[in-house]
Amino acid sequence: MESWIEWARGPAFRLALALLLLGLLRHVLLTVIGVREAMRKAGDKVLPGKRIRAAVLSWLFPVKRLGTRTVFSTASVIFHLGALLTPLFLLTHVVLVRESIGLSWPTLPPLGADLLTLAALLGLAVMLAIRVASRPVRVLSRFGDYALLVLTALPFLTGFLLAHPAWNPIPFGPAMLLHVLSADLLMALIPFTKLVHIALLPATQLVSEVGWHFIPDAGEQVARTLGKENQPI
Amino acid sequence: MERKLPYYTEPFERTGLARRFLDAFAAILTHSNYDLILDAYARLGTRCSRCTDLCQVYQATGRTEDIPCHRSELLLRVYRRYFTAPGRWKGRLFESFTLTDEHIYEMAESFYRCTACRRCKLECPMGIDHGLMTHLGRWILAEIDIIPKALLVSVREQLEGETKNTSAIPVPALIDNCQFLEEEFEEIYGVPVKFPIDVTGAEWVFFPAVSDYLLEPDTLMGVAAVMHVTKGSWTIGTGNFDGINYGLFYSDRMLGRIVRNEAKEVRRLRAGGVLVGECGHATRSATFLATYAAEDPPKLLNILQYTHRAWKEGRLGLKKGVIEERTTYHDPCNIARTNWIVEEPREILRHICADYVDMVPNRSENYCCGGGGGTVSIDEIREFRTGIGGKRKAQQIRDTGARYVVAPCANCKKQLREVCEDHGLSEVQVVGLHDLILKAIDWEALKAEAKAGPGAEPTAAAPPPGAETGKEES
Ligand code: SF4
Repeated sequence: MESWIEWARGPAFRLALALLLLGLLRHVLLTVIGVREAMRKAGDKVLPGKRIRAAVLSWLFPVKRLGTRTVFSTASVIFHLGALLTPLFLLTHVVLVRESIGLSWPTLPPLGADLLTLAALLGLAVMLAIRVASRPVRVLSRFGDYALLVLTALPFLTGFLLAHPAWNPIPFGPAMLLHVLSADLLMALIPFTKLVHIALLPATQLVSEVGWHFIPDAGEQVARTLGKENQPI
Repeated sequence: MERKLPYYTEPFERTGLARRFLDAFAAILTHSNYDLILDAYARLGTRCSRCTDLCQVYQATGRTEDIPCHRSELLLRVYRRYFTAPGRWKGRLFESFTLTDEHIYEMAESFYRCTACRRCKLECPMGIDHGLMTHLGRWILAEIDIIPKALLVSVREQLEGETKNTSAIPVPALIDNCQFLEEEFEEIYGVPVKFPIDVTGAEWVFFPAVSDYLLEPDTLMGVAAVMHVTKGSWTIGTGNFDGINYGLFYSDRMLGRIVRNEAKEVRRLRAGGVLVGECGHATRSATFLATYAAEDPPKLLNILQYTHRAWKEGRLGLKKGVIEERTTYHDPCNIARTNWIVEEPREILRHICADYVDMVPNRSENYCCGGGGGTVSIDEIREFRTGIGGKRKAQQIRDTGARYVVAPCANCKKQLREVCEDHGLSEVQVVGLHDLILKAIDWEALKAEAKAGPGAEPTAAAPPPGAETGKEES
């Protein structure tokens, strides 16, 4: 068991982290290049910067969004808060990093960490419940949507149990292994699933605007490729 | 058995549909910028269903097929399977999605149930623009000749027909029409208002929805009256007098050709720019002058902006509160979704109407009239347009209790009249903004002025409050 845990937080973790960071970096770079390329070819070079910024900010800090779909929106916001803050600022995580590479940063107080973890779990539970119970989301959902919700919950759930041995029904070893492995898997999957929005969300409003910036001779080129150049309408 | 579509098309080749669809898709991907958005959208869809809160079609039917995200997924699935590496591998290794005729017909139906109003984008956390997916989906379908006949024949007449406009109005008829309206001015108001035709060197060439010449004389007279009072430099060009651009609704290829023709007419008349009449999609499609006439794009102004500016600057007097009946305003999606032209008409309406009320929601959050995206021209789907697409709008109108619904858009007007008819709102009148402006101009003063002879300053009515602080909008 010990050696498995060592493997999961050693080589497997490093691989997952590399996949995560390189994967996200690749997406960001491809998007930046794609946008520049598209704008270079577009006839109209002007983008509505102010509107794009406003839209991006309204989703990054979705205070005003809480008004619509209040339960879902609130669940989503508290999940995101917990999911972003806890893994990065948990004392035990920071200690691990310090021991291995010497870097260190401020940490969350234990109560804060507990509350944020529970918030993340509660948020996930509510989102899952809505996905099952509300018709339009249910009919849109596919296996992957449920699987990702469950997979995302695992590291938080096991992490919480590890921090509170008194409530933990599973022995420490398997719980730790499950915790680290599920986190590894989640990190590795982020660039390949819809979770890639972690990196791309700020870009999508821009991408959508660029989408309306057409290439002046695209139509003629398409006609040529399809052999329709001189065809009457 | 041949699958029936809800709208008429011209006969099209029914064999090899899937292959030809993919060829067209591939050609479009190669030569356009759509790859960028498809790639992003294919990864990012979170299937959260927030968009269902916003779509008037889904709200009316509750059908899975009408969920905006579901509709976009129809096209994204094809993209993923045939145009991304993982999709192609998956297709090779497992039994996965294959493009069938059935799927194509489903898209052909679905993309014309969406009015491309882009309301749903407001609530998509991932910023997915389903209206843009509809726009692209329709173009690909058009390249395999699946196009509503109503749109196709209009564009054919406009680009390759004799009359070069979507209503097939010959130039002599246009001139007659304008002369008739000039006579009306003389008769009703005793003021010599002109419709200048083919004047070279004017500041603006006027591009209304050409159907206005047949259906909306009051709107046109309102425009001409404003131009008269403000001494505006404008002209109607006989080479091209149609602002309608159904290319926006089904094919970028046609969109570009129609826009270039507008620029050509402006150049022929050595004018400064394009002045679009009361029409939402005509205005938005003219913004593509910056794309298709990029070398030397003509200026672009919508008549609402022109009139508002003149009024603010004190060059156009409008009587306060002359419209006594309750009045409300419908925001055409194509000029309001991005909050582009929303305050100008409201400021004028609040001034000239004694009882102005807004619909809720409004401005960028307005509901589509239900006939957007060119669907209003498809007469055979009227039941769908007014019963489903326009259901929410009918309720909104009823809630205001208004007698006048002002809709500065030829398409919205036609659709809203049908919506009112089919929903028992017989007392409601759907009008253009300039129809009401016509009533708010001080004709007595103008008449006196006309009598006093040329040279007298127009002083039709008192300038609006705050005229001197009126800011320039670009
Ligand atoms: S663009 Fe408008 S009609 Fe189309 S799916 Fe979105 S809200 Fe519905």
